[in-house]
Amino acid sequence: MEKTKRRLETFSFYDRTGLEAHLARMAEKGWLLEKIGSFFWTYRKIEPKTLTFSVTYFPEASQFDPGPSEEQEAFYDLCAHSGWQLAAASAQLQVFYNEGPDPVPIDTDPVLEVESIHRTMKKSLIPSQLTLLALAVFQVVMFAWRTAEAPIENLTNPAVPLIALCWALVVALAGVELSSYFRWHKKAALAAEHGEFLPTRSHRKLQLGALVLLGLSVACYILSVAVSGSRMVFALTVVLFLVYIPGLFLVLWGVSGWLKRRRASAKTNQAVTLIALAVAAFALLGVITFGAIFGHDRGWWQADRGTDRPPLRVEDLLDPGYDGYEVSCSAEQSVLLGRIFVNQEPPISLIQEDYARYKEIPTMEYTVVLVKLPALYDLCKNALLHDSDHLYEDLPAEERRCYAPDDPAPWGAREAYRWTASDREFSIYLLCCPDRIVEINFDHDWKVTPEQMALVAERLGRGELP
Amino acid sequence: MPRAKFQTLTEQMFYVLLCLREECCGTDILDRVPAMTGGRVSVGSGTLYNLLEQFVAAGMIRETRVEGRRRSYLLTAFGRETLDREYRRIQAQAEDYRRYVGEE
Repeated sequence: MEKTKRRLETFSFYDRTGLEAHLARMAEKGWLLEKIGSFFWTYRKIEPKTLTFSVTYFPEASQFDPGPSEEQEAFYDLCAHSGWQLAAASAQLQVFYNEGPDPVPIDTDPVLEVESIHRTMKKSLIPSQLTLLALAVFQVVMFAWRTAEAPIENLTNPAVPLIALCWALVVALAGVELSSYFRWHKKAALAAEHGEFLPTRSHRKLQLGALVLLGLSVACYILSVAVSGSRMVFALTVVLFLVYIPGLFLVLWGVSGWLKRRRASAKTNQAVTLIALAVAAFALLGVITFGAIFGHDRGWWQADRGTDRPPLRVEDLLDPGYDGYEVSCSAEQSVLLGRIFVNQEPPISLIQEDYARYKEIPTMEYTVVLVKLPALYDLCKNALLHDSDHLYEDLPAEERRCYAPDDPAPWGAREAYRWTASDREFSIYLLCCPDRIVEINFDHDWKVTPEQMALVAERLGRGELP
Repeated sequence: MPRAKFQTLTEQMFYVLLCLREECCGTDILDRVPAMTGGRVSVGSGTLYNLLEQFVAAGMIRETRVEGRRRSYLLTAFGRETLDREYRRIQAQAEDYRRYVGEE
């Protein structure tokens, strides 16, 4: 039979009422709280019994303390005298239990108790949550701004929507936590004046929901990168989740634990641990960057997906009479957008070797943006239509170029646009198909035939992309 | 309206100060208050810890002895003055009661 069990507890730090009721229920089921960890709480098997729990706060304590201070020990002695045994403590949070019937509570003056909780919160949770909230709001605003400026580049990177979701969750959690606390404190201070302790509450379902959403998003991200991402992105993802993040936690726990055992003061411990974390973060980033370059030099990432499988090649459309093409093909996708970019042209070296020949060889470049979330369609279309507007802003009208509406029928598209100057048209097209937008650029001398347009529509305008 | 600090005393503050007319430590106070009041008033250990800290900071009591983790305290002149003022306030209340209710 198991003697200990670990649980993920999602109570708010100041939720004295919720914690006490939960711990009493656990004791009735035969589990007594033994340790409060960074992520999990440890319970020890006991005979099921009715215990009274008291959660109280010691504002002067810190998670970097080498052990309970003399004052804290004196406080524990007073509690023990009234039958309260310390079950577990973490920083300012102190959890006691009492086996006696109807014990005198540890806190018998609500005014002092609310003051003590508020001093604790002002010292620990309020500054950290406010900092986190400000940072998260900044990140969400930056994400919105970047998405408005360059939606395709921003949203096709599978990590970006995931990171934005994480920050949005942080905004929601920190915002709810702080506003709930301030509302509670305002009411509790008034109630305390009338001799009542206003019960606290947590938003456990919200916290649990956010954690589940986060877990699912990370799993989806890893899966999507494993299935369709590049080898390097997959390797970096694995390193991030299995080495980088756990590595930083190990440094945090290792350094602060070692300093606690050496009885270093809380201030020394905090300063040294922060420096060690910063050094480790930079060092690990350095190692990862070195690994990426090392792998690149040895061609580990060369089998990246799609490099040799473009959905459409120049040879599919005409006979170029040349077989020395260099084809670059890259693809990435997130849950919101997918993008494949293909460029097919002779090697640059041919310009020096035989410029006339180089000019004769037909070239082609295209981008297909797959819009998985229909609400993003117009945003992506407008971004592509007006991508180069800023380049022509200050030029006279005759030198300006832009996409002008063209006949979509030969392309089998809903809308088509052609790159146009005041006096001529280029073989550059933007095609709006039901779930995607195709931008295709043929070289200047290439007059695209209806048959070629139909083949482009078939290969790029519909169906699966590699 | 929040109570101005120590202008009036709560029952618990009153009995803690009353105990400290003679030197005693925290655990003594925890035992003495219920004994003094026939079990009507008890002070929680957390509340007592906070009160002792605040009384020392306000100069109402002073630390007299430290034996290991056991600290003893004694009322100061200012503490005695505060206690006496509270006594007179309670007495005035009782007299008011007697005057209006006790004579019925």
